[in-house]
Amino acid sequence: MRFSDTGYYIERYIKCGNCGVLVYDEGVKASDPKLEGQTFCSDWCVDWRTQRVNGNKAPRIKTG
Amino acid sequence: MGTSKATDFVTMNIIESSMISACREMGITLMKTSYSTIFNEALDFTCAIASAEGEMWAVAEFCPAQIGGMPLIISSSLKEIPLDTIHPGDVIVHNDPYRGGLHTPEHTLFCPVFVDDQLVAFTVAIGHVAEVGGMVPGGFASEATEIFHEGIRVPPVKIKKRGEDVEEVWKLWLANVRTPRYNYGDMRALISGVEVGAERLAQTISKYGVDHFRKICADLMDYSEARMRAEIRDLPDGAYPFHDFMDNDGVTDQEIRINVECFIQDDEIVVDFEGSSPQVGGPINATLGVTWSAAYNAILHLTDPSIPKNSGCFRPIHVLAPAGTVVNVDYPAPEVGGNTETHPRIAGAVIGALAPASPERAFASEGGTHLNFVFGGQDKANDEYFACYDIEVVGWGATRHADGNDATDAINGNCRVTPVEVFETRYPWLTEEVSLIPDSGGAGATRGGLGTRRIWTCLDAEITCSQLTDRHVHQAWGLNGGGSGTSGMTLYMAAGSNEWQNMMQAFGKASTSKWSNVVIKPGDRVEIVTPGGGGYGSPAERDPELVQEDVAEGYVTAERAKADYGLGAGGD
Repeated sequence: MRFSDTGYYIERYIKCGNCGVLVYDEGVKASDPKLEGQTFCSDWCVDWRTQRVNGNKAPRIKTG
Repeated sequence: MGTSKATDFVTMNIIESSMISACREMGITLMKTSYSTIFNEALDFTCAIASAEGEMWAVAEFCPAQIGGMPLIISSSLKEIPLDTIHPGDVIVHNDPYRGGLHTPEHTLFCPVFVDDQLVAFTVAIGHVAEVGGMVPGGFASEATEIFHEGIRVPPVKIKKRGEDVEEVWKLWLANVRTPRYNYGDMRALISGVEVGAERLAQTISKYGVDHFRKICADLMDYSEARMRAEIRDLPDGAYPFHDFMDNDGVTDQEIRINVECFIQDDEIVVDFEGSSPQVGGPINATLGVTWSAAYNAILHLTDPSIPKNSGCFRPIHVLAPAGTVVNVDYPAPEVGGNTETHPRIAGAVIGALAPASPERAFASEGGTHLNFVFGGQDKANDEYFACYDIEVVGWGATRHADGNDATDAINGNCRVTPVEVFETRYPWLTEEVSLIPDSGGAGATRGGLGTRRIWTCLDAEITCSQLTDRHVHQAWGLNGGGSGTSGMTLYMAAGSNEWQNMMQAFGKASTSKWSNVVIKPGDRVEIVTPGGGGYGSPAERDPELVQEDVAEGYVTAERAKADYGLGAGGD
């Protein structure tokens, strides 16, 4: 998210390139050039999106 | 993850019950002190308790639309208001749909709970405020094409500071609504609700001690997570796709696709909405909070209802909602219908997708709309403007074991219909008819639930009406060979006429189901027909005795009994 210098309004809404959640901090970047320029909320989302854009239709990424 | 060996399940159960009891008391306070029928009759609110970090610890059994969205609303708000700027007696209000909110009418109130000078928790109430300004009275601007048409948008701000009203916030908010007296009363009710809850919770926390209470709540969330993972683990791994459609967006006549693929992977589910339509010009876009809420709602329906509902049980569920689509709208596109109309379609799609994996708990589609008939006008007796958000009820989808419920609020509502007596006391309408519609439930081994018909006559005031509904075209689907439910419909008859017309015919509107600012005059009549639910299983397998009962009760006509179930006049 990019707030104005005053903090009174939002200049730009930044959303995770995979799950769509708002990203308030710097976020996570992907190393895959196909995902250049996108921001992600977590390593999980980076992994999922990376696998999807590279043809894996059902990635498996465990969290718990 | 995992509860420690030191988990005290007895105390955990007592504390959870205490928190839920506090949430229920918050809701009762809201119900009994609010001014608008959407709160005191329909109960369109939810009350919850969250940790200071924004995780939901407990919630009462009010409105599912708000339950699933609660974690996102809380976490988004707390990112903008630092904890070290929150003090005892503060109350925060927020309704911004792009910052975790559900839609502009839904206002979230937070009250901090301090014990031993520590901020331990928040009590939270989300309530649907009936009138929020914007281009129509009653909040559902069906012809909106941007957020600025939909009413006042409130970022997370304090409406009370250290126990005192923040007058500037009150004045700004009340200046932008048509019914300031009602809005004032309803906001006071929301504030009272969270303050009552905060008092109760503080007592509970003091009894157990802050550190012990926090540990118990952490264990509670871990327990919920473990229970949900166990439920998911029992479902067969695989990829489960499904899709459904919204009729249109009120601006163009194009159908809108809700696409989902659910991946069950050991003890986790990924709910991926890739392939859903891009966001549209009219107000049926869903916010991310709505989509989270709908996905959770669906999965809660398909899993053990005794799992405590808190952020823990949502941990094994990953919701992927691409930005800029109808399931994750980007600013400044309109969104007010997403929470009531698109949520049921999203939840239904997830249930449809997972039906092969959970056939015992899955059910055919319910009617999937709240009908959202909103209106406003001048109350001559009190010389004051009135506004109302009227909810109608639909048929529910059948399950493997039972017919769908008749005349029940859609899957995300759990709201009550305003009694006719109360409605006629408050608003200048005469209710001519409220009835179940025969044959409106989809045929099946178990039958879909029936929709309803309601007919009003306008009495002695001009009333400006709008509606944002769906399922006039795409019907509630059946499951495993069950038939579809019937469509909804809204009709108008001018005073002195005997011809019913839809809104496109009568007023040149772009959609029969989404229209704004039609002036209804004394003597005019309005008819609202609600959709039926889908059936489950082949109609050929329905017990003939049940078909006979349906005919005897008027739920199914003799003609449909023969056509759908092959039942002749002699009962054979």
